[in-house]
Amino acid sequence: MNPESSSTPTQRLISRATLVSQGAEAAIYKGELHPPPIYPVPSGNRDHDSEPVLIKYRFHKQYRHPTLDASLTKSRVAGEARAIGRCLRAGVNVPGIRMVDLQEGVLAIEWINGKSVRFLLGGGAEGEEEVDEVHGDVVESEETDEAEEDPLKGYNITQDDIMQLIGTEIAKMHEADIIHGDLTTSNMMLRPPSAPDKSSELVLIDFGLAYTSTLVEDKAVDLYVLERAFASTHPASEPLFASVLKAYERQAGKDWKAISRRLDDVRLRGRKRSMVG
Amino acid sequence: MESFHYSQFSQEYSNVHIALFTNVTNATELRNRLVQASTMSGPEGDAERQAVDFAFIDATLICSTLHLKSAILNSVLAQAQGALRTKTVHSEILWNLNPTNNISEAIRRYGVSSSTTSLLVVRIGRPGDPATVQMQMSAVVSGDLSPTSRLAGITDWARVKKYYKILQQIDADPQKDIQRVHEIVVSSVSMKSVIV
Repeated sequence: MNPESSSTPTQRLISRATLVSQGAEAAIYKGELHPPPIYPVPSGNRDHDSEPVLIKYRFHKQYRHPTLDASLTKSRVAGEARAIGRCLRAGVNVPGIRMVDLQEGVLAIEWINGKSVRFLLGGGAEGEEEVDEVHGDVVESEETDEAEEDPLKGYNITQDDIMQLIGTEIAKMHEADIIHGDLTTSNMMLRPPSAPDKSSELVLIDFGLAYTSTLVEDKAVDLYVLERAFASTHPASEPLFASVLKAYERQAGKDWKAISRRLDDVRLRGRKRSMVG
Repeated sequence: MESFHYSQFSQEYSNVHIALFTNVTNATELRNRLVQASTMSGPEGDAERQAVDFAFIDATLICSTLHLKSAILNSVLAQAQGALRTKTVHSEILWNLNPTNNISEAIRRYGVSSSTTSLLVVRIGRPGDPATVQMQMSAVVSGDLSPTSRLAGITDWARVKKYYKILQQIDADPQKDIQRVHEIVVSSVSMKSVIV
């Protein structure tokens, strides 16, 4: 089938984008939403609006009944967009939304020019081998030769600074009663400074599992999930995570006491509450 | 005026023309003309509607060209999917710019009014000669055709914030606060199809 002739506009948009990563739930593409002008003839300096976007495509799942599939996809795309919208209004650093197509299961968001915190802490970039397997002709990974240099070069920031940014950003998000649901170092990106006198920004990404809750329990579990992610991907992570919590405490203020106490409970019993009784 | 070709859409509405007019002097006449054109009948009516077949948008409520283009993209997408909520793809742009679902409110706020002096004019249509479109626009609007980059100095941020209900300051740094407001507005327009 020729994707150009017999498909919807959004599918044509995707067919021109580059596959970045492929998962079981969605495929991630890098593409362009707004073309550069055809009139007046472009003068060479890049049009600000034709910045790349990240397209998250929740493709049709063959194993589900079509009606159920459509309604699940719709509510998940909408849920993710809503969570990002709430974060934006709460002043949390998240990528902005650029397009939503509920029918096609597409969410286009701002492309963050930066690397994941996981990569910057030396945990390796996630999922590269998988991409190469699925799509042999996709971009060769650029990271290979950079890996030997200091990954934090150009960010003008220390590891401890990153931890503080993480703590502050999560606290801002929890303050707005948004629970991320999948806090890992892969779901945080560091955006390099836009100008020499500016500083790097930490951006939270992937709100696919996010939901709203006012419960201390949910916030504590969110932090616990991140703690476990640190422990499993980064060696000697205790001082790093301690620094995250310190910054969280500073931002959260009076809410910290209850969350801290609950976090201790969660550490003892794990993420799931006892289902007995 | 700037023209863009959105190649993912079919020919009937693949081309978008955006022009900014400043020092507009005929806003009141233009508004009356639009109202009249919509009720005229016969071939004269068709010709008149053809002549004013643009979206006229109060430029002071638009933060950036990205803001406007996000609304345009939504409108053309709705057209392509047969999901227009207003009568034309041009009025759909106004609807997409307004945070609520009220069509007459959208037109009142974002459309041309007697006090409008800066106007964004948009045409969505088939590929064609941009110069012709520009002439058609200038025939309808009396004002100075300006580059869209001038938009930055025109935006009335206080009103934008009011309509989007951004009540508190988001960032202590005023320059960053504007950036954040811009991001909220662009994102809100882009996620218009999601009921918040």
